[in-house]
Amino acid sequence: MDLDNKMKSLKDKGGRIIGCFPLYPPLELFHSMGLTPVVLWGLRDFVKTSASADRHLQSYACSVARHLVEFVLSDQGRIMDGLFMYNACDTLRNLPEILHCGLEENGRSLPVFKMHIPMAPQEQTRTSGYLNAKILSLIMELEETFGVLFSPERFRHSVALYREMRSLCKELESRVARGAISYGWYSRIMQEGCFITIEDHIALMKDILKEDPLFRNESVVPSPAIAIIISGILPPPPKLIDALEDAGLRVAGNDIASQHRSYDYTPETADNPCSYYVDFYFNHFPCPTLLYSADKRIATIKNLVTGAGARGFVFIGEKFCEDEYFEIPYLQKILKEMGVATLPLEISIEDDLNSTAYVTRLEAFSEMLRG
Amino acid sequence: MPEVQPEEQKAKAGHTKTQAGKRLSKIMLNDYMRLHQKAADGAFVVWIAIVVPAELFSGFENVVYAVPESHAAMSAGKGVGPLQCEKAEGNGFSPDLCSYARIDLGTAFDGGKDSPTFGLPKPHLLVSDNNNCSLLVKWFDVYHREWGTPHFILDVPFCYEQQKDRDFDYILSQYRDLIAAIERMSGQKFDSRRFREAVQNTGEALTQWKRFLKSAAHRPSGLTVFDSFVQMAPFLTSRGSRELVDHYRLLADETEDHVARGIFPVPNEKYRLLWDNIAPWHQLSKMSARLAGLNANIIAASYTYCMGSLEGEFDLYAYDGGDPLAYLARTQNFSVCPHGLELRYRSMQKAVEEVGIDGVVFASNRSCKVYSIMQMDMLKRVTRELNIPAVMIDVDHADVRKYTEESVFGRIEALLELIDVRRNQARS
Repeated sequence: MDLDNKMKSLKDKGGRIIGCFPLYPPLELFHSMGLTPVVLWGLRDFVKTSASADRHLQSYACSVARHLVEFVLSDQGRIMDGLFMYNACDTLRNLPEILHCGLEENGRSLPVFKMHIPMAPQEQTRTSGYLNAKILSLIMELEETFGVLFSPERFRHSVALYREMRSLCKELESRVARGAISYGWYSRIMQEGCFITIEDHIALMKDILKEDPLFRNESVVPSPAIAIIISGILPPPPKLIDALEDAGLRVAGNDIASQHRSYDYTPETADNPCSYYVDFYFNHFPCPTLLYSADKRIATIKNLVTGAGARGFVFIGEKFCEDEYFEIPYLQKILKEMGVATLPLEISIEDDLNSTAYVTRLEAFSEMLRG
Repeated sequence: MPEVQPEEQKAKAGHTKTQAGKRLSKIMLNDYMRLHQKAADGAFVVWIAIVVPAELFSGFENVVYAVPESHAAMSAGKGVGPLQCEKAEGNGFSPDLCSYARIDLGTAFDGGKDSPTFGLPKPHLLVSDNNNCSLLVKWFDVYHREWGTPHFILDVPFCYEQQKDRDFDYILSQYRDLIAAIERMSGQKFDSRRFREAVQNTGEALTQWKRFLKSAAHRPSGLTVFDSFVQMAPFLTSRGSRELVDHYRLLADETEDHVARGIFPVPNEKYRLLWDNIAPWHQLSKMSARLAGLNANIIAASYTYCMGSLEGEFDLYAYDGGDPLAYLARTQNFSVCPHGLELRYRSMQKAVEEVGIDGVVFASNRSCKVYSIMQMDMLKRVTRELNIPAVMIDVDHADVRKYTEESVFGRIEALLELIDVRRNQARS
């Protein structure tokens, strides 16, 4: 995928582009206000250097942060009209001001919208009032900055589009789980969806779902494949995905933050953006970055494993991602109790060039599962 | 000027303990003994993040609290950091995780073995606070899951600017929820009179703390940052107590007295430095002595001057006797970690100007991303706008395995040379 062309195409369609991080921004709201949200996540395959980012971030910042900073500071980033971020991890919360410094050095500036999403569990503290106020503030800031007006009708329309998009994503994912299309192919479509309009993403997935993937040899997983769950902040790099499928492993369940966790849930009603986002965030698929969702997370993982009939669980660890790493030992323990084998992999910024060791581990894991 | 006794000079140079140093050891010993004793006698035990306002627990007759981060710092200082880290790593925790967390997990899952305080009594409640770092919530979730201990998350918005009214109200409401939760779980009634008294004590103690830190402004400085690092400890274990007020008064009195009598920790002080990050607990004595040998003294730290101040400030934000809960909510962001770059710069600028700093040591700390990620831009801004040199060194606050003394001192010595060059340029 040519990211430059994709972004240029987005711009040519007249949209003002708002770069968002981390993974679960209020996309529908931006869309309804005439903005084109682009989630700046998983830029690994498009940002081939970290030279600019390395002037601002230490080497122990994760690759997500380094690629994100690199992208925003690069010429590619000039295409954006604004940035949005909400609180997630301890690295990302420092980025707005770091980006401001970096842009200033380049004689540039971008409006940055920051929002605190409450992280206290609802059953502990009533946080909906606080989140309502934050959503209203964001709407006012967007109106003021971009000279646009919020419209409930447009918001409902945008929600309907995103609901459709998420439903199609789930349909594609279910085909991956059945072995009808490959995880690698699906991942490429999901990635492309980040850099095209929601309308184009929907059209793309509809086209794909119309086709019979069994005629596309490159997209079909070798059979018989062993069902596994894949989990992490990002999907594995393409080379590892190929290795995983070549080793006869089938992604029967998806716990990747930029994939299933992102599109699992859309609230039913969209009459009011405040109540919509209270519902959206507090019923979100559990993610280690959503601190309040911890209690639901273990049960969700167990259900995912059981539902998929998975025999293995592969952690795609993003090096330096503390949110994910604190959970792994406990998850390994409960998965072991369930009789599910685990394979923790750790991917760092340089690992696109060092994939052989991972390939060997995936092959060994597959052999072990085959017993 | 009264005559200086050799023993006193030795004490300030770190060879023997000052009165405040001796008293500190007693306080820490007593605090941990009291904690274990009360827990054994049936007190309700809470484990808290370092920035949870512990005065809240003073409002209960029989609630005690422990601070795993403080215990981890002490463990690192006593040399058992790597041992406990390795235990956690053996249980599957990544060596890239915060070393406080690894020390604590290693200690807790080994029943307190090898801990200088025999570990911490098992908690009835965990109270984390994402204001300092969100990883702490994940760290406490480990216990929540393993032991089934309830986990209360104080959710405090990060500050890119001074605290907003809405955030203040949000914090306040969570304190009320926490009090109600403890009442429900412990069966004890919250006593607002006891609570107010604790806040009053903290307010007084912080006044004395700031008085102590002011001794750094003297030339030579009346203190080293290493004094202030270790003297932070009772603020974490005795917060809200009368004992803390008395101790910090003694500390400030003694330090002022030493200054008045010409007793200085680095008598030939030539370089006055500022430290940015958590203390390198495993290096306090060694680093202090080696710096003194270079006639260099780190006299201030963002880690210690933030205590008692609001975000972006350097001076004391005093308790005025008003609503104690409101005071705690307003000062919830006191530590550096929840501050954005602009706020950190503002308070550092004030520190540099008020204390008189020649250079800044940015300690890039692998175990504390929230403190460290932004230092590269801070360093550029400090050197550009404050016109003082700065250097970045690699440390880990509690895992000595990630520290290389020669590499660190190579950079610090380069900083001292740079200060000399600038001085020479200024003279010519």
